[in-house]
Amino acid sequence: MIVELFTIPAVILIAGAFMLPLLPRQARGTAFILFPTIALGVLWMLPEGSLLQATLANYELHLLTVDALSRIFGTIFALITIVGGIYALHMKELGQQASALAYAGGALGVTFAGDFFTLIVYWEIMAVTSSYLIWARRTERSDKAGMRYILVHALGGGLLLSGVLLHLSEGGSLLLGPLAPEHTLSSTLMLTGVAINSAIPPLHAWLADAYPKATITGAVFMCALTTKSAVYVLIRLFPGWDILIWAGLTMAVWGTIYALLANDIREILAYSIISQIGYMVTGIGIGTEMALNGAAAHAFSHILYKSLLFMGAGAVMYATGKNKLSELGGFAKKMPLVVILYIIGGLAISGAPLFNGFISKSMIISAVGDAHMETATIILLLASIGTFLHTGLKLPYFTWFGPAKSEFTVDQVPVNMKIAMGIAAFFCVLFGVFPSLLYTYLPYPVEYHPYTAYHLVEMTQILIFGFIGFWFLKDKLNTAPNISLDLDWFYRRPARLVRTVFVRFPDRVFAAAEDIVLKAAQGISRISRNPRKYFYSGDTDASGRPVKTDDFTAPIHAAMAFILLGFILMALFVLV
Amino acid sequence: MKKWHWILLGILTVISLIVEFTMVEHHGDHWWSHIPAFYIILGLVGSAVLIFLSLWLGKLILLRDEDYYDR
Repeated sequence: MIVELFTIPAVILIAGAFMLPLLPRQARGTAFILFPTIALGVLWMLPEGSLLQATLANYELHLLTVDALSRIFGTIFALITIVGGIYALHMKELGQQASALAYAGGALGVTFAGDFFTLIVYWEIMAVTSSYLIWARRTERSDKAGMRYILVHALGGGLLLSGVLLHLSEGGSLLLGPLAPEHTLSSTLMLTGVAINSAIPPLHAWLADAYPKATITGAVFMCALTTKSAVYVLIRLFPGWDILIWAGLTMAVWGTIYALLANDIREILAYSIISQIGYMVTGIGIGTEMALNGAAAHAFSHILYKSLLFMGAGAVMYATGKNKLSELGGFAKKMPLVVILYIIGGLAISGAPLFNGFISKSMIISAVGDAHMETATIILLLASIGTFLHTGLKLPYFTWFGPAKSEFTVDQVPVNMKIAMGIAAFFCVLFGVFPSLLYTYLPYPVEYHPYTAYHLVEMTQILIFGFIGFWFLKDKLNTAPNISLDLDWFYRRPARLVRTVFVRFPDRVFAAAEDIVLKAAQGISRISRNPRKYFYSGDTDASGRPVKTDDFTAPIHAAMAFILLGFILMALFVLV
Repeated sequence: MKKWHWILLGILTVISLIVEFTMVEHHGDHWWSHIPAFYIILGLVGSAVLIFLSLWLGKLILLRDEDYYDR
């Protein structure tokens, strides 16, 4: 049994997280890469089906269930953990290394879980370990953001768990499988829990709040794992739920608008995640085989180019110590390789032909078109223009090419960071040029060809004229040092009021009550010192002797000794 | 943007238009399928609409000073 447990990819990574502290400091970075590599090899050797069961109370748990969908997600999670590990090779902080490894283990666990309980365990592991990647930045802002992050995810996990328990009590199956699209209480609770992790508005604000405040290397793992494992669960449980179509379209536009406004470079990328997840969620809502294939393929592509983009932004922060468009600019020549690799990611996310965004995004848009949802198609195309505007143009232009807006020095970026970016960029191009490499492994058979004349014309024209639009309007874009309010306002701004109502006010009430009780107790104890005193009106008793008022008097001593004696006698009597 | 950048974009646009009018037979069955060079219009108008929409929303309600939450 113990040996079999190590065929679970998640267990390999989590065990790795526990082994890291035992290794010498210099070997940890290499070991970090070794574990996901082993997991990647193992998950490709596993046959399909439920491979490992365990019993918990009356329930049979399916610890390791493999099918095409879980394999494709598992592959990309393991792959990006390797890439992220290379990117973080120069970073020697044990806490971050161990928690990133356990975090990736959690994502792999979610992917290969066969039942709800196993899923929830890994789900919570992800929430806890990823929070540390925010706290590890050790600034006051990241401390607070990490606390908000873990609270939101605790809520999400709680909702999911209560949905699952309700589902089981209604006689539902413990096995993961598509739920009937009925809005019962249990399914709504589960959907809300998963929606928090997949950042569906109005539950999305944690993402753009937390990711920009995470550590440079931590954000690379975060942008790849949490939302995409939630997308996996959505594909698994909620395919074809109509509500997801509109949720996805809202996300696509919402993310675009905010990314166009944002000033922090990683906030732009964070909002762009929301916009990209919108495509996947829309595809899941449509629920046809092609749409689900598209969602899975887009998640795969997205992880590659989004982590490439986050690595590029991280390289900028590493080299300059700055992360705001309002302070950067004019140093493209000092890090040409990073700029080129970033732009590959930017073109990939914008859906430019020959890059991997093109082969997956067009699949979802085609599936939406096939469902004759014309408004939805136009909205997704608009979001696609927006993606090009903020991630493909605004961010690189104002970061590297536009005029410098403050004084800063540009340090060398470690080689391992560039190598990791190069690997991610290589895969972005590889899958873009040879889409069948990805299509072969999608959950359903694919009869889709992205490289048709129509699609090429469509994307070429959109991108060229999107660029022209940007070029003439770029000076109007917001690059002032400010922030935009999102729905996290509702739990950040009124925090003071909430604290007053729920913390300070009860605190004061309790303090007052305590005061009253203590005073009453004091009064009572004063009276009880010598009750006899209250039978006399003055300081002397009837015979003229003074009454002692500040000590026990003899009769009470005698009474107490008598009571004690009684107890001892009774005890002896009972015992003997 | 140097001059040859613009020329390159122009050439690409012309190629895409030639391809659109000669090779693309199946235009799909959307309402926009019969508008020639629809995606050029979409690219241009779409980018302008998004930029102005975001600016308008930003001015209207969203944008605040950086220390908004710290105050």
